[in-house]
Amino acid sequence: MRSLEVAVLAIVTLICVTDADAQSPYGIGRVATPAEIAGWNTDVGHDGSNLPPGTGSVSHGREVFEQQCAACHGNKGEGGVGDRLVGGQGTLATEKPVRTVGSYWPYAPTLFDYIRRAMPQNAPESLSNDDVYAVSAYILNLNGLLPADATLDAHALAGIEMPNRNMFVGDSRPDVRNPACMTGC
Amino acid sequence: LTTPGFLEISGIAWSGHGKIRRVDVSVDDGKSWQEAQLQEPVLTRALTRFRLPWHWDGTSAVIQSRAIDETGYVQPTLAELLAVRGDNYYYHNNAIWPWRIAADGKVTNAQP
Repeated sequence: MRSLEVAVLAIVTLICVTDADAQSPYGIGRVATPAEIAGWNTDVGHDGSNLPPGTGSVSHGREVFEQQCAACHGNKGEGGVGDRLVGGQGTLATEKPVRTVGSYWPYAPTLFDYIRRAMPQNAPESLSNDDVYAVSAYILNLNGLLPADATLDAHALAGIEMPNRNMFVGDSRPDVRNPACMTGC
Repeated sequence: LTTPGFLEISGIAWSGHGKIRRVDVSVDDGKSWQEAQLQEPVLTRALTRFRLPWHWDGTSAVIQSRAIDETGYVQPTLAELLAVRGDNYYYHNNAIWPWRIAADGKVTNAQP
């Protein structure tokens, strides 16, 4: 979640720099067009804001998953070269926590954002919005969070309550104190 | 490293809480630290380059850097971080990372 927020900040900064450069004596660069900005502005909020139109079923998601995801994440999301995506609920407070979408992630819409932005790793942004909804639905189904006959759209995805939703704590920093010793340390 | 003599230690510092105020560098395994020079512009939440000239005498050395941001937060050692967060801690490992330079110039991870 934090890295997504940082990405947003980075984009905002970039736009400001571009704006300033347009008036700079160097005469390089140009202001980004609204269409270009819209193309980059794909962030989905944790509450599902900015989710695009589209729809996808668990069953279609299985097909997409088997073609695009299973090689790294395993046939049932059990993990392989890629992260394990399924299971692990109830393990987070143990010595061997298994952090997956089902056991760890606080918000379901993040799944859509992440898959669309970053997956499959060899061809990110190659899936259609419908396919991303479908594969999100399948991963949620594998985690027991969506029935096998379910179909997801923006409203349905935003309405899913993730099991670990209320187990996060606030940012505890600054909680580690380094005295910044300079000599004789 | 190939030859002893004057070298520049350089790197980038970043904080999610604002500007980098200071970066300290140690070349004696953390026994003493010197303030590095920051390269302008120093902007909030932006990568900030630091540099410190160093004379390497060709003997084994451990070098490391420690960033301090404008809130006064000091980059912790790994031991300090683990003591507070526990060893199942997962994200946001921002610990100081020391590097050992051998007499032959080879650089290896020196995190204890």
